[in-house]
Amino acid sequence: MKPITVTLTVNGQTRTITTLPNKTLLYALREDLGLTGVKDACGGEGECGACTVILDGEAVNACLVLIGQADGRSVETIEGLAQDGELHPLQCAFVETGAVQCGFCTPGAILAAKALLDRDPSPTDDAIREALSGNLCRCTGYSKMIAAVRRAAEEMSHAR
Amino acid sequence: MQEFDFYAANTLDELLRLLAQSGGRVIAGGTDVLVQAQRGVFPASVLVDASRVRELRFIGQDGETIRIGALTTYADILASPLLRETAPALVMAAATVGAPQTRARGTLGGNIANASPAGDTLPPLLTLDATVRLVKRGGERVLPLAEVLCGPRQTCLEPGEIIHSVAFRRPSQPTGAAFLKLGNRQGMAIAVVNVAVSLPLDDDGRIAGARVALGAVAPTPVRSPRAEAVLYGQSLNDDVLERAAQAVLYDIAPITDVRGSADYRRKAAVRLTARALRLAAQQIREGAQA
Amino acid sequence: MPAELKTVGKAELRKDAWDKVTGRAAYVDDLPREGVLVGAVVRSPHHHARIVAIETAAARNVPGVVAVLTAADVPGSKTFGPLVQDQPALAFDVVRHMGEPVALVIAQSKEAARHGVAAVQVTYEPLPAVHDPVAALEPDAPRVHSGGNLLTRYEISEGDVATGLAAADVVIEATFTVPRISPAYMEPESSMARWNDDGTLTVWVSSQKPFEDRHAIAGVLGLPEDAVQVCSAVIGGAFGGKEDSGLPVLAALGAWATRGTVRLINNRHESFLAHPKRHPARLHYTLGATREGELIALKAVVHLDTGAYASYGPAVGGLLTEMLAGAYRIPHVQVETNVVYTHSPFSGAMRGFGSPQAHFAIESMMDMLAHELSLDPLELRRKNALRPGDRLLTRVTLDRTAESLPLILDHLAAARARLAQKPPAPGRVAGVGIALGMQSMGLGYRVPDDSTNRLALAPDGSVLLYIGSPDLGQGLATAAEQIAAEALGLPYDAVRTVDVDTSVSPNGGVTCASRMTYLIGNSVMLAAQGLIAALLDYAARTLNVPRDALRYEAGAVITAAGERVALGEFASRAADEGVPLVAEATFSFPYPEETTPKHLPIGMPHVMLVFGGQAVRVEVDPELGTVTVTDVVAVHDVGQVVNRAGVEGQIEGAVAMGIGYALYESMRLKADGQWVDSFTEYLLPTAEDMPQIESVILEIPEASGPYGVKGVGEMGLVPTAPAIANAVFQATGVRAQAIPIAPEVIARPLGG
Repeated sequence: MKPITVTLTVNGQTRTITTLPNKTLLYALREDLGLTGVKDACGGEGECGACTVILDGEAVNACLVLIGQADGRSVETIEGLAQDGELHPLQCAFVETGAVQCGFCTPGAILAAKALLDRDPSPTDDAIREALSGNLCRCTGYSKMIAAVRRAAEEMSHAR
Repeated sequence: MQEFDFYAANTLDELLRLLAQSGGRVIAGGTDVLVQAQRGVFPASVLVDASRVRELRFIGQDGETIRIGALTTYADILASPLLRETAPALVMAAATVGAPQTRARGTLGGNIANASPAGDTLPPLLTLDATVRLVKRGGERVLPLAEVLCGPRQTCLEPGEIIHSVAFRRPSQPTGAAFLKLGNRQGMAIAVVNVAVSLPLDDDGRIAGARVALGAVAPTPVRSPRAEAVLYGQSLNDDVLERAAQAVLYDIAPITDVRGSADYRRKAAVRLTARALRLAAQQIREGAQA
Repeated sequence: MPAELKTVGKAELRKDAWDKVTGRAAYVDDLPREGVLVGAVVRSPHHHARIVAIETAAARNVPGVVAVLTAADVPGSKTFGPLVQDQPALAFDVVRHMGEPVALVIAQSKEAARHGVAAVQVTYEPLPAVHDPVAALEPDAPRVHSGGNLLTRYEISEGDVATGLAAADVVIEATFTVPRISPAYMEPESSMARWNDDGTLTVWVSSQKPFEDRHAIAGVLGLPEDAVQVCSAVIGGAFGGKEDSGLPVLAALGAWATRGTVRLINNRHESFLAHPKRHPARLHYTLGATREGELIALKAVVHLDTGAYASYGPAVGGLLTEMLAGAYRIPHVQVETNVVYTHSPFSGAMRGFGSPQAHFAIESMMDMLAHELSLDPLELRRKNALRPGDRLLTRVTLDRTAESLPLILDHLAAARARLAQKPPAPGRVAGVGIALGMQSMGLGYRVPDDSTNRLALAPDGSVLLYIGSPDLGQGLATAAEQIAAEALGLPYDAVRTVDVDTSVSPNGGVTCASRMTYLIGNSVMLAAQGLIAALLDYAARTLNVPRDALRYEAGAVITAAGERVALGEFASRAADEGVPLVAEATFSFPYPEETTPKHLPIGMPHVMLVFGGQAVRVEVDPELGTVTVTDVVAVHDVGQVVNRAGVEGQIEGAVAMGIGYALYESMRLKADGQWVDSFTEYLLPTAEDMPQIESVILEIPEASGPYGVKGVGEMGLVPTAPAIANAVFQATGVRAQAIPIAPEVIARPLGG
């Protein structure tokens, strides 16, 4: 395998890495860039959503993006969600609603929800369920996650 | 993850050249290729990334012909007013593929190239009589979709050849169309059976050239000529639709696997077809009222 | 209800959540990577085979491979296991299930480790395998272990079942089949181990039992236990499945052999194949009753598939036996429970620990009996529900906790009436089903069942809580902090939990068995008294006043003159002087003589029980047989609520797990001889599959509990699956005796 060099924007910063081409964005973020908030729960099969990041504005499974495919693109991870030390309303709502238990699915679920709220600021419950349908959670039964997204949407609409 | 070399193409020309030179295979949305590569079973040692070839990501109209570029994602299909109007069953199918994360990345060309018997967009494309434009360095050909799908996870693509786009004719008559899928859960389900139908009506209100296609009930998604024959020239009534649905049994050959038994698939194929036909008929009636 | 509670019962936010929503929480795979070697495991591709030869030379020559280890390299005990030491660290002579570890490759990179694994050549002689627990007891069945395939059999009887059945007006009989379930926590098993220059090991684990992991590691490596330090990383869920030392043992072996730091992470396939599962079971029940619906006799024969190794199988079989009759009084009972080895991935602890299997059978039987007798299933339950003073099958006398059952049934009656009003969607049929549930708290009589915890005053006046049992994600630390704050009269924020580290933490025991908030809470309350005493002693010395002139109140020492001296002042002063202000306390599960007689028919009966019930509404597509759960009303007596969001989270998550059990999940052996071992085929419920869940929380205080607390960790899933099956019957008239309920069993025949 010939190593490849890739330049991408991660949480607003330009990063360049040289790595083997069979590395996915998931493991490039975790291992090469030290951003370990993105998780692997299904073994890189796109079945769990724990590795959800926002790639050029869309929630994607980072395990199904080769690092070479991310060249020149913009990635947002959980580490970049807080702005100027202020947590994103989704982060606060997840804590305050009790939507966090073991936390392994939490970063992916928050990013999937953020991609939803970015395009639909006042989603219905069905839209929230659909947006989270790719993010498996074994602890919460999803009820409080859905409530957290609803709460964040309300907070954000008041703030506007 | 299995090992491979990686090249990225920015243009169609570059993509074809890289494929020809490397003997590699295309990766686009990665939602099938990387799952197989993760398990070490993707048959390629070179991957050529097509995901930034803009020429292949389009939804367009050319006279009466609708063309969809191979790199069009499921999310693109869902967002297209043109497809909602001309290919509602395809839009319904795209909405059921995986989860939002998959729909943002997975492509129509990929769904064809993966050639899964359960591929959700394939039955709707069969009901549209879609053709597939295949291109390679120094040549291209256009084949009906059914000829591209030659077996479970097998296509007729030659080395160096890629799926460029899919085309179908805008329906000229009032047409009802529907897609239904039976999965083992609501979210992120793989089809146990999926069905697409289209019911065009002639000027006398009779069914002209209906199409019924099913997935996950044969080595490839298949049309049901027997069901289509039952519908031909008939007026829209529930008895005809039910008889057509029963007729799909002659055209399918399901297997038993972890998602369902052959017997259950036969039963489900009939029931889903009947429902899809009724849904399509209802659309026509509502269209006529409007 | 003690109205004066200030922290317990309040909506405090869990402190670890902030790290979890920002990505900072460090699970084992998130610990620093610099200089860490990668471990990868060579696993058996066979269900059963003799190992003829293992050739490792080629693998050792792979660039980047540091070591290749086999059973021959294990310096201490070749096997480990919590109850029976039958589980090899690395297989020798034979492999007994697909995915069993055979060799361990340690390398400088993942790539090298993968190449190393591929280069290890194992020659196997495949042997016949048995996967069915009934077939495995046939005389000519392939043997899993030389001692035979029966691991444990429990036989108990109460009364005279033959007479009872003969006297019954109606006798019904049925066989139920329940599947192999993966705990499917989101974080697969993970461990990292470092060899220290002083000849000790530090091991980071994602485990329910760091102290037992230490014991297993020390045994396999032939080291004294104090040479092994086990630290808990953040844990991404456990549900019983992380009561297995397999991965910590291998990581430690790798670190020991290489004198380096080795990380070992299971991928999802490995997690399916090589970590404990919920026991699949077949349960044959015969139930007799009078025409009026009074239960007379129950006979049950159960076969549990414990897979290739014992793990907690004997204990699961024991608890299942205790739970067989559910929450009902039946005078004549005869039970035979067989825990059987097969060549399947091993079963062990999982949330409910035998109770969900038993309840699927008894709660289905109750509805079948009601149908047979044309009685209301709810009234049949009410007539036969356990009452305080009843003697259980185990000869334990039930205490006042059973007072919750009539209340639970009242709530279920109301919920059922309300849910029955909802019309089904067009083309669907609807039904409402109910089920009761009973779950034990604690490990059981005769088993050491205690927890030790420590409170220490920090120099800044805050309190450090050293819990001896890890928080698995369920919020155990939050509950413990709330109880500590309550007991000390401090604000919740003043108490901080220190993660488990066997070199500094007290041994709190395994986090399991719905017992932690109860046990830790009690122990923390005792420790708080000790800490207050230590503080007052110190304050008296410092202020040079008699000790009994001082008292403690809400974070301050009050002098005889009524002056308040803040805790912090003594804390900083004591720290300067090097005086530790610390208290540790142990609380043991009480087994009062009046309820727990000395002679009991089975090994470790439980005396403390919790009860719940659920009403479930389903909609069924009668043509396709698909079942949608639309509503769940979950009624549970949890005693005093410590943290409502935490309690609801336990119930909601458990209901989701129960829905998966009823409708989706099964780790099957496929026609091609491979196990279902991925999330593509093993379907967990998604956000789109979940109904509205309403939790009705009864707070009937437990006298022995801290502030009245009972356990809530497991029972939320116990009634769910049978309630769904009962609802499906109400909707369709089809009785599903096997779960997950296959749509094709429910679907109307073609043309029907």
